[in-house]
Amino acid sequence: MTTAIAAPKCLVCDTEFEVQDDWEKGEITECTACGQEHEVVEKSAAGARLDLAPEVEEDWGE
Amino acid sequence: MTTAEQVLLSVTMLRPEEKLLLGALRAEGLTARPLLMEDLAEVVAGRTGGPPALAVIRNLSHRDAVSVSRRLEYAGVTTLNRSSVIEACNDKGLQSLLFARHGIPHPVTRHAFSYDQVRSAVDELGMPAVVKPVSGSWGRGVTKMANAECVEAWAGGRESADATGKLFPVVVQAYVDKPGHDLRVVVVGRTPVVAIQRVSEDWRTNTHLGARVQRVEVTAEIDKLCQQVVDVLGPGFYGVDLVEDRVAGELLVLEVNANPEFAKSSAMHGVDVAGLYAAYVAEQLGVPAAA
Repeated sequence: MTTAIAAPKCLVCDTEFEVQDDWEKGEITECTACGQEHEVVEKSAAGARLDLAPEVEEDWGE
Repeated sequence: MTTAEQVLLSVTMLRPEEKLLLGALRAEGLTARPLLMEDLAEVVAGRTGGPPALAVIRNLSHRDAVSVSRRLEYAGVTTLNRSSVIEACNDKGLQSLLFARHGIPHPVTRHAFSYDQVRSAVDELGMPAVVKPVSGSWGRGVTKMANAECVEAWAGGRESADATGKLFPVVVQAYVDKPGHDLRVVVVGRTPVVAIQRVSEDWRTNTHLGARVQRVEVTAEIDKLCQQVVDVLGPGFYGVDLVEDRVAGELLVLEVNANPEFAKSSAMHGVDVAGLYAAYVAEQLGVPAAA
């Protein structure tokens, strides 16, 4: 189990994310600097861990 | 809070739409939480404090939407939409068969299981005709066959990538000459709650391909077609795509989506789709309306 990071950074441009109280696991959030989408993969009182948001797949969509 | 009030929101990931839904469900007094694929094992094993009252299926992935809803149903959890409905909505060929069986106005459609059957269907329907993968999204793979050269270019390109025809079936539809737009109607339960017109210079009017949207009134004709769809699929949460045939002057049901997007149109048109949907869910569970 990876420890949540109090202030996770953008995995592309290193800009620090401000952890939001209402973030949910699985939520997609954008880097305010470069716009890269990240997924919240872990959230706890200690902070959050982010990963790059998944790419669009063939069977996605309405 | 008992499990009778617990709602799972099954997602591939939590986009603005799902975040709105989560907030709206909680505002109705329900205990709602996201369900990611990795959490499903615990739920179906009954290790989450008893079965939830209901699961709202919002998976972006068609494969996951059907898989999750079926597993939950087998575990005794009611899902919205039902797995059989999601399956039909994710397959344009199955939808087309249902529409034909129940007399729902729909473009003339043929089913093709080989390259030769595509050629025959296009010949039969006349050109232009439209070839669609049965499970494509956002307009991907939808091709207009304007002449015989198009058919051979499509068949040649596809055959080189799929010589054994594993990507069949496809549907071949009569091309509908529409007046530069189609309609998307969002249905909650049995009620069409908002209709938008998608306007584009492209013959495909998907918003993902740049179509502009504007709200239009739900007319009696739109309502009637939506009721026909709901009569066949059952009440649920749908995006019903309608297209006007300029020549015949009638509206046709092009397809129905079981996972309609609404975040942008809700904001633009002042219709709280998430709130209406959450109220519908609460009503299904017999939870008193939120103040």
